[in-house]
Amino acid sequence: MRATVKAFVQANLYLAIGGVALLMVLPFYWMIITAFMPAPDIIAFPPKWIPTRPTLEHFSAAFAKAAWLTYYWNSFVVAAVSVGCSLLFGLFAGYAFAVYRFPLQSFFFLLILGTLMVPVQVTSVALYILLSKIGWVDTFLGILAPNFASAFGVFMIRQGIKSIPVDLIEAARIDGAGEVRIVLTIITPLIKTTLATVAMILFLGSWNDFLWPVIVINSSGLRTLPVGIALFKDPYGNINYGPLMAATVISTGPMLIAYIISQKYMIRGIALTGLKG
Amino acid sequence: MNFRADEEGIRNGKDSRPRSQCFGHRHERRIPVRPTNVLVMTLALLLIIPSLGLAAASKATITLWYPGGDITAGVNDFVDPNLWAEFEAKNNVKVEAVALDYDTMKQKMFAAAAAKNIGDILFVDDTFVAAFVKEGLLDPMEDSKAKAWLAAVMPEIKLRSEYGKGKMWGYPQYGGDTYALTWNKEHFKEAGLDPDKPPKTWAEFREYAKKLTKRDAQGVISRVGYAFRHVGAASGIVHKHFWALEGAGARLVVPPDALRGGKSAFNNEGGKAALQLILDMIDVDKSTSLSFPDPRAAFLKGIASMQYSELVSIKARQPKEAPDLNWGFGPPPVRKPGDVPVTLFGGFIFVVPKDAQHKALAWKALEWLNSPEKDYELCKKNEATPRYRANWEKEPFKSTPYFQTLKALYPGAVVFPINLGSDGVVEAVGAAIQKAWHHEASVEAALAEAERLANKAIAEAAK
Amino acid sequence: MTRARRRSLRQVLTRLSSRHILHAYFFIAPVILLFGIFRVVPSIQTLLYSFYKVELLRNRFTFIGLENFSDLFADEIFRGAALNTLKYVLTIVPISAFLGLVLAVMFNTKFHLKEFFKAVYFSPMVTSTVAAAMVWWWMYNPQFGIFNVLLKLVGLPSQPWLMSSRMALPSIIIFSIWKNLGYNMIIYLAGLQAIPPQFYEAATIDGAGGLSRFRHITIPLLAPTTTFILIYNSISAFQVFDQVFVLTSGGPANSTNVVVLDLYRQAFQRFNFGYAAAEAMVLFLFIMGVTILQYVYSKRFEVAY
Repeated sequence: MRATVKAFVQANLYLAIGGVALLMVLPFYWMIITAFMPAPDIIAFPPKWIPTRPTLEHFSAAFAKAAWLTYYWNSFVVAAVSVGCSLLFGLFAGYAFAVYRFPLQSFFFLLILGTLMVPVQVTSVALYILLSKIGWVDTFLGILAPNFASAFGVFMIRQGIKSIPVDLIEAARIDGAGEVRIVLTIITPLIKTTLATVAMILFLGSWNDFLWPVIVINSSGLRTLPVGIALFKDPYGNINYGPLMAATVISTGPMLIAYIISQKYMIRGIALTGLKG
Repeated sequence: MNFRADEEGIRNGKDSRPRSQCFGHRHERRIPVRPTNVLVMTLALLLIIPSLGLAAASKATITLWYPGGDITAGVNDFVDPNLWAEFEAKNNVKVEAVALDYDTMKQKMFAAAAAKNIGDILFVDDTFVAAFVKEGLLDPMEDSKAKAWLAAVMPEIKLRSEYGKGKMWGYPQYGGDTYALTWNKEHFKEAGLDPDKPPKTWAEFREYAKKLTKRDAQGVISRVGYAFRHVGAASGIVHKHFWALEGAGARLVVPPDALRGGKSAFNNEGGKAALQLILDMIDVDKSTSLSFPDPRAAFLKGIASMQYSELVSIKARQPKEAPDLNWGFGPPPVRKPGDVPVTLFGGFIFVVPKDAQHKALAWKALEWLNSPEKDYELCKKNEATPRYRANWEKEPFKSTPYFQTLKALYPGAVVFPINLGSDGVVEAVGAAIQKAWHHEASVEAALAEAERLANKAIAEAAK
Repeated sequence: MTRARRRSLRQVLTRLSSRHILHAYFFIAPVILLFGIFRVVPSIQTLLYSFYKVELLRNRFTFIGLENFSDLFADEIFRGAALNTLKYVLTIVPISAFLGLVLAVMFNTKFHLKEFFKAVYFSPMVTSTVAAAMVWWWMYNPQFGIFNVLLKLVGLPSQPWLMSSRMALPSIIIFSIWKNLGYNMIIYLAGLQAIPPQFYEAATIDGAGGLSRFRHITIPLLAPTTTFILIYNSISAFQVFDQVFVLTSGGPANSTNVVVLDLYRQAFQRFNFGYAAAEAMVLFLFIMGVTILQYVYSKRFEVAY
């Protein structure tokens, strides 16, 4: 009797989880088939769940309307530079906060943590005014300005370095290694996982960032992917569903593929950061 | 990394690291100060600096910023370098057209002005002028030039050009965007209506819409008699219902040529009637619905029989999107027989920013580009209506039916108010229209609220 | 310098260098400088600008005290935006947290393909909100979107979704729930898995049933996780922008206008920087207030065994 109840519950569980999973995936599925179906099929009723005559016309239309490769490149440059700088600067700053004792240490640390509390919307107004005066609006530098360093990165790296035994560092100092060398050659390999997690989260954040880029970017040649998608319509404000879905496939495809390959890692990384608060 | 070995090497004088890595040793090479060197450098400087100056003085470049892409198709001859050849030769300048993105053009210009790095001529929507004037971005046109222009152009162009008594901020471009009612001739024939006669009065309009509506098997409307805009930017909504509002006597701002101050005058019997018209068509006639929010797309797809919006966009899109569409255009319906049909008249304008590097040259270039001769030449080429009265006396404008139909629309032409607070007024009216048609508020309540907000916006901008 | 003083200077320097003071400052310098210029100073400036009328092009900054704020409170559009934002936060935070907990509980059991399903639930989080919102915009299309098509298939009337000033905000909320479900689930799952099984064993021995165990062990021990989820979700809900921008741009009739969207419009389309700065400060105060409230309130419920 117990066994059948258990089986019943199990079956229901599968049903529930499977059903909700279907709902979660439905938008992606619909996006993909709309992108590949010819226009009359998209609006056909009853709806076509499987594309019977797939076409690439929407993709060529999407590529004709907007420079997706440029958008990819822009998103990549912005993400790479911002993640690179954040890691580099965060590495040294995290090390300093973890290992050294120096005057005003708490003040500076709280300052950095404080930036986490103040959302970008609050800084955006004054930052935009500053950037417009120095001509950084509508430039790569302008997009990168608030993202050259990451408080989250500093915090996580500091946590990671704190767990390294001090003796290791002392030993390297006795051997005559300079501090910079210690950080780069000894500390870095030891906190590889932390760095990779931070890099991944920062990369994802930068790749999907929208508010600041849409404020700063005024030329289509500079657009990052999210801005490109949001402004994807012809000058008359006309939006065609096929090319629009093709555009979203183009912009989310690679990230989704990367996710499928590395999802276990991504999920674990994000869960860890959540626990640490 | 083997620290120990290095250290030993240093202690024993056997330096294993290359010279450049030794800290504390600076191997500098200096250029020795000898008389011949000094002479050479002075001569070089004497030659370079003046030639730089010459290069700078030889040819100035005027930049013209405009929105690239389809939006300026047919009105952007200035992009062609050959057009400017004559002007460039006479004035020893180069004119360079720089394409911007239409969506973010306003912000780009604003940021450029803040950085004092803005183009010499800006080609923008005339709706930008009020905001730019408010921010102090523009250079006004010389009074004498303005006077000459205003005296020589058609009355509807004078309407678009003047910002207060005799004052102009730029030259409005030809090919003014006329709004017109467009209808599907095949649908008319199908419904037993004369395909060449649009509805003349509101009553007729409602009748036609009822006859043109089609339903599917479930009773859901599959084709509306008239599609209207009720989502998106407030300006779009208001523009596309302008014919009913102004046609019934609702005015956005009075007096219409007041740059500062004034008040709204749309919360009256006319305004209420204009909103009620569509509401009745949704609820009573059931000849339209909220499910067709993009009137142009619906019209081109054949799921709307009539719509009212910019003529030029239908003209541009129809050959590609609906090549078989048999359509007509004409003035919108009037409230009572004998009224003059109102059409909204707007378009692009050439302006010169206050911080432009070559202001005088820019104005000169614009005067040349907008001379009567150029007006005739370019309008003929682009099938656009000319701005100078004299040019209407010439062919093909004098007798071609297409141009004469367009000309017939112009007496009822109304321009958007130039008030600095227009943005707020339009927002308020747009919101009122949305609320009323979405059954969120009664027509009276919606208009009363909009009036309050609009007057507030006008007062704010007048400060 | 006398020999004695030179020696003490060297002593100071040696002490400094053994404490690596200079190294410390050099190492934190890039971060501090960059944050200072591009984050800290602008934050303070935004606060200052909120008390000024800012005319950027004329380079004129006029001090007007609290006038921006009083205008803000008198502005029905801003009040509407604040109300919409509150409605949004108060709806989405409890629902997302609750659903996240339910899913986490379900996932805390053993079953086939668990990792696969976990990945599926989390997938919306890796797409950009903008791209996902575009897909949902298409799905919400009144004539051809999949939602109304499904309704039509089962004979129900089609809904206006984003076209109706009453349904637009709920439609956006549904999207946001879909987007954030996976994240809350993952966090709760981690929290659940951190609860030592001994507690459950002890409770079972004492005769506690499943529901009782849940109420008296799971929920209290999950309190820190719940606090984190509530605070994190609230902060990001207050800042909602991307999906509103894409799906409705604040319409129809300002029914989905939210504070950040209004701020964006005021600052970057109307160039009313002072006014927008005041909006930003109000938003910031709200976020801080709610965060502090939640944190203080939650401390009451934290249990340590």
